[in-house]
Amino acid sequence: MAAEQTAVTDGTENGLGGKYLTFSLGSEEYGVEIMKIREIIGIMEITSVPHTPEYIKGVINLRGRVIPILELRLRFNMATKEYDDRTCIIVVEVNGPSGPIMIGMLVDSVSEVVNIDSAEIEPPPEFGTPTESENILGMGKIKGDVKILLDVDKIVGAGVLEHLEASA
Amino acid sequence: MAEEVNTFDKLLNDLALKIMMVDPGDLSVVGDLILDLENLENTPDITTKFPHLKQMALDLRAVLGKIVMTDIDDSAENFDIVGQCIGLMEEIYRKNDNDSESLASFNKLLSTLSSSPAAAEKPKDSPPEEQAPSPAQSPSSANSAPATEAPDKPVILDTKPESLDFMEDMELLSGFIEETKEHLESIEVNILDLEDNPGDMEIINNIFRPFHTIKGVSGFLNLTNIQALAHSTENLLDDVRNNIRAMDESVIEVVLKVGDCLKLMADNLQNTIDNGAESYKNYDISNYIRWVKGVQGAETVEEPATASPAATSAAPAQTTESAAPPSATTPPLAAAPPPPPPKSSIAPPAPPAAAKPKTKAKKVGATIKVDVDKLDGLVNAVGELVIMQTMVRANPHITAIADPKLNKDFGQLFRITSELQKTSMSMRMVPIRQTFQKMIRLVRDLSKKTGKQANLVMEGEETEIDRNMVDSIYDPLVHMMRNSVDHGVQMPEERKRLGKPVYGTVSLRAYQKGGYMVIEIEDDGQGLNTEKIRRKALERGLIQESDNLSDHDLNNLVFLPGFSTADQITDVSGRGVGMDVVKKAVEKLRGKVDVMSEPGKGSIFTIRLPLTLAIIDGIIVQVGTERYIIPTIAIRESFRPRREDYKTIKGQGETLLVRGSLVPIIRLYKYFQVEAKCTDPCEAIVVVVESEGKQRAIMVDELLGKQEVVIKNLGGITDITGVAGGTILGDGRVGLILDLAGLVTAKMNYNLDLPAAVSKDSPAIKEVTEPENTADSEKTTESEQIS
Repeated sequence: MAAEQTAVTDGTENGLGGKYLTFSLGSEEYGVEIMKIREIIGIMEITSVPHTPEYIKGVINLRGRVIPILELRLRFNMATKEYDDRTCIIVVEVNGPSGPIMIGMLVDSVSEVVNIDSAEIEPPPEFGTPTESENILGMGKIKGDVKILLDVDKIVGAGVLEHLEASA
Repeated sequence: MAEEVNTFDKLLNDLALKIMMVDPGDLSVVGDLILDLENLENTPDITTKFPHLKQMALDLRAVLGKIVMTDIDDSAENFDIVGQCIGLMEEIYRKNDNDSESLASFNKLLSTLSSSPAAAEKPKDSPPEEQAPSPAQSPSSANSAPATEAPDKPVILDTKPESLDFMEDMELLSGFIEETKEHLESIEVNILDLEDNPGDMEIINNIFRPFHTIKGVSGFLNLTNIQALAHSTENLLDDVRNNIRAMDESVIEVVLKVGDCLKLMADNLQNTIDNGAESYKNYDISNYIRWVKGVQGAETVEEPATASPAATSAAPAQTTESAAPPSATTPPLAAAPPPPPPKSSIAPPAPPAAAKPKTKAKKVGATIKVDVDKLDGLVNAVGELVIMQTMVRANPHITAIADPKLNKDFGQLFRITSELQKTSMSMRMVPIRQTFQKMIRLVRDLSKKTGKQANLVMEGEETEIDRNMVDSIYDPLVHMMRNSVDHGVQMPEERKRLGKPVYGTVSLRAYQKGGYMVIEIEDDGQGLNTEKIRRKALERGLIQESDNLSDHDLNNLVFLPGFSTADQITDVSGRGVGMDVVKKAVEKLRGKVDVMSEPGKGSIFTIRLPLTLAIIDGIIVQVGTERYIIPTIAIRESFRPRREDYKTIKGQGETLLVRGSLVPIIRLYKYFQVEAKCTDPCEAIVVVVESEGKQRAIMVDELLGKQEVVIKNLGGITDITGVAGGTILGDGRVGLILDLAGLVTAKMNYNLDLPAAVSKDSPAIKEVTEPENTADSEKTTESEQIS
């Protein structure tokens, strides 16, 4: 287990195996390394923050701590969907410009935690445009399904926040 | 790759900055430079990518080494040449050109340096003319130059540890490092205290004890170097304790310098812990120990009988003159008249009978160190507790219970939790005293070095500042203090001529005002030369001849980057060393800097910092579904406007007539892009706020109430104009706190109509003065509107 974890954070080609939390956005299934996840909470009232990119829905109070919420559908330029009782916020900890920060990702629903062997993980497909695949660690295959394994550090981490600072 | 390039960039920038800050005689900065160069040499890929750079770094390091060894004069001119060398290195790096032309000019520069007249043969160890002419030196130390200049930096022997067996117990070691640093800090405070109360045995004991502790623990940990140094200093102090010698200037100098050296070694140990044994540097401290022993030895020989008070006072005076201000031994300064000893420097040891223990030793309350994360955790948990409590209280089932006992208990519970909240909040605030105390030393050293006489007067050391800001404020403060002493206060003769007291006074004040923490640095020196600043600004195209700027506006130009480099300061006004650096650092903390100056009378530099994390008093307002908090301190009044007071300008700029002046309206819902209930100003409520002297009427739907709220950052979302942060409201939701200063300026761009008319006429001024003087330009705007 311990070995697995270090392997996960390693991020090398064949070190991607480990436990992933899977969730869905529309018809697509995604996975996030379990070590990055702090907690999963239901949808709650979000205070919007002006002059931020559209996908920053705003901020919430996570037990006395204010954390930003990022709507993953908007981040991926997908159509938005009404929130329902399956809508979840996955709180992840990523490396910010000044130390780790917590950010909530708004997703349609959370599925399960799966163990994916590194042998089952393929490099992301080439779409021609680098932007499509740069946030993806790889494609995990489980029982015929394909999960898109996301690199949360890139999606919600430093890059986005820098962009935030620049745009503000 | 990119990373390496960045490292180059960073190191070179660092070098350039440091060489700018270096002062003749300030060898610790030279030490830093050497370290940086070493790092540069060790950057991977430097050999393949910038072979020249590597060679240059090597050469330059050798030269700097010579400066440290005083083979080369550490004069301003030489540092200037070093600065040019670094400039060349930067150029090579920027252009990425590896041709030998730049290298040639670099070498030429270096050779001028090494062949400068001051670099004339100067045997390293023998005492030349500046050596202390102390005839009564103990014979044993005659050839080891005992009472000479304090070694400014221990020489790094090699980076291979002889034995690192002290690394075995990391926990003990890091504990020792922490402790040592604390001890050293207390030593410094005490020694400065001693200058005010010479001969106070209690304080001398307070200085002696930490050295003793350091010696003991370092011996236990097998840190032989530290042990030896602490031991020799302890011996010296023991003599003082036993009235064998006086606590004179030379002893104080020893204690301070040894303290610096020990701190360096402690840092080195910390570095070793962090980065592994390879980074350990083996310092050669033998010169230090020789020096300490020399000071001790010279004295004991000089003064065989402790009885005669006359002899005692004569002896220290002599050593002081010869050995004291260490920088005076450098040729350029030695030529200048030797600075008179600072007022409290030498004092014969008070006869034991007269030694009234005026124990004014700074009372430091018992404290413990707590991990900041733990503290943050506590603060958050308490915040959560308060919110949960409110929610429980609001539960309909609970409110249905009509039990007086329950109500009373709830009241009690509320009191306790709010007490808990206040206490946990205050734990993150620390008095600014520690930062201020470091300035005492700085001013002392500076006035010695420059031959000026300056008294530091401090006020408001109790003012509390957020723990996180303490470190960030230190550097700008040092910069400004240095500026005030170095360039503000005139030389004693000059002051006498002008009829001013010989001692210049630099005041350092801290207080809280208007939701800000204010730090003021005031000197009674020469003030800024406004005319020269204006000429320089014209020259550099920062302003235009036609611009009609007030003296205050002109003075504040010193905070612009153009006024930053060394030669310009002397040209311009004798002030403004990298003041843009100060401005940048302060602005990073969302603060402001300002300078007010009167020629001949002095200057006041003001730093205003927000009290982050402090609980602010706010009015909660509702706009649509959102609630915002407006800091109460900025609110002037709030009311529902009357139709006849509502005026538009050119059909778009909206203003409101408030008490005879026209105040622009900010439609908060528009700016924050939310749906509001009221879109007609005369149905809504306006809150008139004032920020930076500008008034604005903020349109909101409703006022909900007044509450003390805790500013929290928005978890990574930063720099949103108009939002100072968030807070957690009673129902657990996040409310945004308005940043009025930002809102007021942002609004100007949003509704360009009103102020643009005036500022467009003189875009050049606007660009230059806006950062500092929006308030002023805005006032004129408003008055013009009224007329």
